[in-house]
Amino acid sequence: MNQSAIAVNVDGVSKRFTHRVKGEVWAARDVRFTAAPGAFVTLLGPSGCGKTTTLRMIAGFEQPDEGRIRFGDDDVTHLPVNQRNIGFVFQNYALFPHLSVFENVAYGLQVRGQPTAGVAASVGEVLALVGLAGYDQQFPAQLSGGEQQRVALARAIVIQPRVLLFDEPLSNLDAKLRVQMRGDIRELQRRLAITTIYVTHDQEEAMAVSDRIVVMNRGSIVQEGTAEDLYHRPASEFVATFVGRVNLLHGSVVACSNGVASVSALGGLFTARVGATALGVGARTRLVLRPEAIVIDKHDGLPARVTTRTFLGEKVEYGLRCADTDLQAIRASGGADDAIRVGDDVALRFADEALVALPETDR
Amino acid sequence: MPSTVAGLRRDPAVALTVLVLWILLGLFVVYPLAALLARVLFDHGRFTPDGIVAIITDRHQLRAFGNSLLLGLGVGIGGTLIGFLFAFTAARGRLNRALLTTLDAAVLLPLVSPPFTSAIAMIFSFGPRGLITYELLGLKGVTVYGLASTLCSEVITYFPIAYLTLRPLLAGIDSNIEGMALSLGASRWRVFRTVTLPLTIPGLANAFLLLFAASLADFATPLILAGNNFPVLPTQAYLQITGLFDLRGGAVLSFLLLVPALIVFLLQRYWVSRRFYVTVTGKGAGQTPFDSVAPWVRNALLTACALIAGIVLYFYALLLYASLVVALGANHTFTLAHYRVIFTEGLKAIRDTLIIAGVAMPLGGLYGVLVGYLVTRGSFPGRRSMEITSMIDYALPGTIVGIAYLIAFNEPPVQITGTALIIIACYIFRYGPTGIRTTVALLQQIDRSLEEASRGLGAGSGTTFRRVTLPLILPAFFAGLGVVFIRSMTAISATIFLVSIGWTLITVKILQDMTELALGPAAAFSVLVVVIVFAMIALIGRVLSLFRAQGAPRVTSMLGG
Repeated sequence: MNQSAIAVNVDGVSKRFTHRVKGEVWAARDVRFTAAPGAFVTLLGPSGCGKTTTLRMIAGFEQPDEGRIRFGDDDVTHLPVNQRNIGFVFQNYALFPHLSVFENVAYGLQVRGQPTAGVAASVGEVLALVGLAGYDQQFPAQLSGGEQQRVALARAIVIQPRVLLFDEPLSNLDAKLRVQMRGDIRELQRRLAITTIYVTHDQEEAMAVSDRIVVMNRGSIVQEGTAEDLYHRPASEFVATFVGRVNLLHGSVVACSNGVASVSALGGLFTARVGATALGVGARTRLVLRPEAIVIDKHDGLPARVTTRTFLGEKVEYGLRCADTDLQAIRASGGADDAIRVGDDVALRFADEALVALPETDR
Repeated sequence: MPSTVAGLRRDPAVALTVLVLWILLGLFVVYPLAALLARVLFDHGRFTPDGIVAIITDRHQLRAFGNSLLLGLGVGIGGTLIGFLFAFTAARGRLNRALLTTLDAAVLLPLVSPPFTSAIAMIFSFGPRGLITYELLGLKGVTVYGLASTLCSEVITYFPIAYLTLRPLLAGIDSNIEGMALSLGASRWRVFRTVTLPLTIPGLANAFLLLFAASLADFATPLILAGNNFPVLPTQAYLQITGLFDLRGGAVLSFLLLVPALIVFLLQRYWVSRRFYVTVTGKGAGQTPFDSVAPWVRNALLTACALIAGIVLYFYALLLYASLVVALGANHTFTLAHYRVIFTEGLKAIRDTLIIAGVAMPLGGLYGVLVGYLVTRGSFPGRRSMEITSMIDYALPGTIVGIAYLIAFNEPPVQITGTALIIIACYIFRYGPTGIRTTVALLQQIDRSLEEASRGLGAGSGTTFRRVTLPLILPAFFAGLGVVFIRSMTAISATIFLVSIGWTLITVKILQDMTELALGPAAAFSVLVVVIVFAMIALIGRVLSLFRAQGAPRVTSMLGG
């Protein structure tokens, strides 16, 4: 790929630190990914997976022990943070408490020595953009969480950064506001076409905003792709369980060819797509089965018994017992299966497309 | 409900405790001040402003007033600057453990010593036969006495207060805020100028006021170093009473001291405290994860700190040396004679001090926890005024408290002048408030729901206090107790008016030795006090760490304020 078609290139970056008990620990290990200009890339993973460390290295708050970081064609690995021209949005917003909203947003422009009139115009414009026109003279302590978040966002984009970096920006907001803000962030990012790297541990949030998602675990990247890729074609048990809800079935491979395996599980024989790793005949495997891919019927299918039923408005969740295995299923409510009750004997079917076979010794 | 029944059963006990505390506060805080006020404003039962007029029209006394303010201003500025230097280096210098400990030790030393140890070291260094002026530079006829030396000595003595105020503030500034400014393109210097410094300004103002007040109240340093040409109020008040036997004149002078002290107190309470930024709290961000100071700046800061720490350590080494030679500046032969003197002739002072400190310590600790608990968790009329009353003697310059006690308890109905009781009472009500503040701070961190949970599990309020609240505030008890002990060992400003032939104190003895030019024994006494105090701090620290391990909130500073 041509270098200039890449806005951010994280090239084999590693960071070690010494832990008091565990000794040497890799906060990030050979992390490697790129972001195209204007793309929205999310680093997703559980806490301690290295996503924030990676983001802080891209920002320049921390120095990698190995590897390079490039913005376009420029190697910025050793460039101090204040010369990288980035916009950073912290989890706790990090607004300057002693400065007004206007002064907060104007800070980056003033540092760049822009003339007063130009600063005022830019700040007014960007405050209007984030829906905070007229808030100029307020102080951070007077604002609600959502408003503070918008100021932080305005402050980061007003300097027209090469890269916009978000570190779990929504985790301090309540659920409803979180959904609204992530939509707003995505829309703004699309409109301004700023290359964005976003860190979160919330897989739903990641799927909602990202062009691409990089899943990390224990300092390393475990899979990278679009939300659909990760959900429907997880490469490992970790990704399967971390992205969305899942049933993992024990099985063994009966036959395998052309990326399709025949697997015996739950007392039956199923066809499954094979994940990233090839499987040998006779190998133990784990089958990935998403809860919504289970069709519950009265007859015709694997015999199972309903153990729990939870009505949640637009959907109904079922707990099922099938061949000594507990399964969870989700059905849209209002369908024919609404009549199913706890204790009913039912029959299960799932489409072959829904199953992915993964090697067992993963985690 | 069991809790209401238990609550009722406990109510009489609470009521009785409150009553007893009010009687004690009335007797040992309100009454002496009222007596002082009466002495200033009345003459033979007749109201007259003569006393005040006589003093404020006396040019010599007015000069003392002006000098006190000048000295306070200098100490406030100098001490705040050095305190900030140390605090900033500690919070941003990415120091390793050993360096931090050294820094802390250099700061702790002046804080726990008798207030005039640095003054004595100044005399040893720059006096007529001073190690530096005479021995090293061969200067003759240099006078050490005056503003400059008093100022230097007080700055060295009091800058730790500024350090203790500023360090948690700097460490508490969310490192992301500085990181943010950096990411917006600001240079490190610009981040410091536009973010770090503005966020620290309320703390700087606070530190300045604390130092100003400390200098205003300081009695021992000017007595030793100020000399005749630089009179200040506390020493003038002392001389008026002990030299001219003019109790009323002394009272008026100390009263004059009250004016700036009160202004400082009000400024602190109603101006500075409202200017702290809400977001700059808690978090305990600790060390900034990125390099917020350039390497060369870090080295410069460390060098500056090392220089000042070096001066502090030099002062104390000098003190130790002076206690071990025949006569510093004249005969540097090793001898233990000075220690022999203090353990024979001076033994009474040592014994008296230890007895008084030993009695005041548990009582002061108990007083602190009781008042602290009652004013935060109790519900009785006059709760607020009890809190304020309990803080009065703590906030006032010692000279005022000492003279007030002298006036109040010199005659019936409560005639206790000359007894140990008057000194013990003075220590409890003057230094016990540290324990009150620690208890209040601890209780504010402990959610009420903890106590409610205990009640919910069926425990009565007595059991709840014993099993839940008490263990949680025990650290405050030990911290308060430690402060009372340490101050009992080192204080002088109030108690110099209260000592007698029957009961005397080491600090007073040191002062006498200084005026009689028995410098060796004075140094030996000082060393002894520092050693005892350090042993006590180590002990209290050990006790506190036991509680900290169990998850009790950390008692940030035993000596805060």
